[in-house]
Amino acid sequence: MTGTLLTRIRGRDRGSYLLISPYLVFFGAFVAYPLIFSLILLFHRWNIVTPMEWVGARNFIRVAADGLFYKSVLNTVLFLLIHIPLQVVVAIGFAMMLNARVWGRGFFRAVYFFPVVVSGVAVTILWQQVYANDYGILNTLLQAAGLPAVPWITDPSIAMPSIAIMATWKNVGIYIVLFLAGLQSIPADLYEAASIDGATPLQRFWRITLPMLNPTVSVIVILSTIGGFSLFIEPYVLTGGGPMQSTLSAMLYIYNQAFYFSHMGYAATLGVVYALVILTVVLIQRKVIERETGL
Amino acid sequence: MRLRWCVLPVIIWSVFLPGCDTRPGERPSPRVDLIYWPAPNPQELSLADTLVRLWNRMHPDVFVLMQPIPVSQSTEEVLLAAIAGKTTPDVCSNIWPGALEEYTRAGGLVTLDRFADFDSVVGARVPPDLLKQFRSPDGHFHQIPWKTNPVMMFYNARLLREAGVVSVPRTYGEFLAAGAKVSRDTSGEGQIDVWMGERDIRPIWWQRLFDFYPFYIAASGGRTLFDGESVAFQNEYAEAVLAFFRECYRRRLFPHTFFQGGDPFLLERKATHFAGPFEIAELRQSAPHVEYGVAPLPVPDGHRGPVYTYGDFKNIAIFSTTEHPREAWEFVKFLLRPEHDLLLLEICNQIPLRLDITKDSLFTDYFLRNPWMAVFAEQAPRTRGVDPIPDLKEILDALSQAYEASAVYGEITPAEAAQMAADRARSILEWNR
Repeated sequence: MTGTLLTRIRGRDRGSYLLISPYLVFFGAFVAYPLIFSLILLFHRWNIVTPMEWVGARNFIRVAADGLFYKSVLNTVLFLLIHIPLQVVVAIGFAMMLNARVWGRGFFRAVYFFPVVVSGVAVTILWQQVYANDYGILNTLLQAAGLPAVPWITDPSIAMPSIAIMATWKNVGIYIVLFLAGLQSIPADLYEAASIDGATPLQRFWRITLPMLNPTVSVIVILSTIGGFSLFIEPYVLTGGGPMQSTLSAMLYIYNQAFYFSHMGYAATLGVVYALVILTVVLIQRKVIERETGL
Repeated sequence: MRLRWCVLPVIIWSVFLPGCDTRPGERPSPRVDLIYWPAPNPQELSLADTLVRLWNRMHPDVFVLMQPIPVSQSTEEVLLAAIAGKTTPDVCSNIWPGALEEYTRAGGLVTLDRFADFDSVVGARVPPDLLKQFRSPDGHFHQIPWKTNPVMMFYNARLLREAGVVSVPRTYGEFLAAGAKVSRDTSGEGQIDVWMGERDIRPIWWQRLFDFYPFYIAASGGRTLFDGESVAFQNEYAEAVLAFFRECYRRRLFPHTFFQGGDPFLLERKATHFAGPFEIAELRQSAPHVEYGVAPLPVPDGHRGPVYTYGDFKNIAIFSTTEHPREAWEFVKFLLRPEHDLLLLEICNQIPLRLDITKDSLFTDYFLRNPWMAVFAEQAPRTRGVDPIPDLKEILDALSQAYEASAVYGEITPAEAAQMAADRARSILEWNR
């Protein structure tokens, strides 16, 4: 068997293996090696500079007792609960607007994607100016209208929703593209038939558009969930995880453990536990979507 | 043919002779090369450039190459990465004592007290009670104290005067009373636009080195956070400091925001600022119109005795990757000469950690020309550093979380905050033991 394989590699497939070798090198260096190394780290204490120290299951015991990690996971879940519905609603709204024959459609079709291509750090710094308590754009407008200022990123109960709004603004362009593609694939004769039957625009939306967009919604919910679980740049730049740890996301907490406090072993353990949390949520989500939509 | 026979010996000589120019036992090369990393700010780079040029002129056999510490979020990250990659310089003059334990545990530093003249060099320069703070838990010295930036209170004299504050606040009570007059809406737009003070409200660990920690040292008469390896900050001093900052936020003397548009002290949007003498260079350069002064940090009402503060020390160390420790030590001694300490003052506005600096005639003229620097120099002997505790950053992070919950947002009492931070610090020590 081995002989056959080697013969094949030596023979006519040699060229094929040569062609995929750049990917294999990349995969080995940046996927397989870090993965194996992080599995080793799970049972070690290591601060990069000193030799690794075997600690057995101690990192896992610490995770079990680490209330701050649980809080960071719950914060991330809260972010997802706000961000995903908001993203879906806003993306559908804009996609329908861009799909309709409205004035300025060409302009809007060009600009809605801008935030997606701008760096996350730049966007967050921009929103710092929007959200600032005493001199921010939003509060200046509110106060000019005679309304009280809102502590967008300094009130523990408002900070995470504020981040969710900002993240929606940043990412919604991608989902608009997906919804736009979904809308354009709905046969026009369905709408024509509904119109002949006397359906109102609202009825057409609920009975035709939304059901036909179900596959797109499912994809977007799963993509947003996975993307949302990696929430990092926004709290890192905007709030540092505060106020009162209300925006401390799990990724930010893992990053702090690894690169602020040099607890590589513990951070790897947190990462693996967190990956299991994400896997569980996505599997449940898939089951629910399968049951609800029959996809 | 003849030409070929002529060229061949030339080639042989040129290839082999460079490797054969020494006999066994002789030095392979007369010149030693050292790499020196100073802090990457413009003032310290200018000082380092001056000193390295001087050294190289005086020591043609030991060449020092000055390279700024590579830019990153912090020097500590860079040095740790360099230790891991064995790319450390021979000498670095930006060593924060709080990170020293990590470097030492990694075997990254040369023990300095192995040099015969270490005691005489350091003894002539550093006050003995300050020196003992820099001894590592293994009993050796891996750093030589170089400079300090005592954290003190800058105040804007004009803002205080215009608000009707007649004397600079020295106690918490005086500070709060002055703050009630200073924090106000001066433009009539319905928002406070001049504040008594301001601190970055984000829970960033090193920010506590400029509010909670120096205030704790001041309130406690010079205590630090640990007693040996035991948590020692769950006490009335920590609670008093937390209660003081809590009042500052509750009474709206400090804003619940952070400024992005520049330093609010330079912009005259706050009347006080807690910083080291490096702020003077910034004031001179960016806001020469600001009428400022410097005073000790406010202390609890009824406080007796001298006011201590955090020294924000930066020290010099030799890394164990050096192939020339003796020459590196000679260069370190060169950096510590009195005339170079004067240059440190002149160029960087930072205080050399030198015995009786305010009484030494070499520095008299400088302090006459820079009276506020004299205030910092007088504070220097009453400074404290950080404890040589591993995981200090993580413990300061725990303190930041407690400070934020109690002082900034008033969600828990100062006593609960001190308890919360102490419990978390004990857990961190236990986890990482």
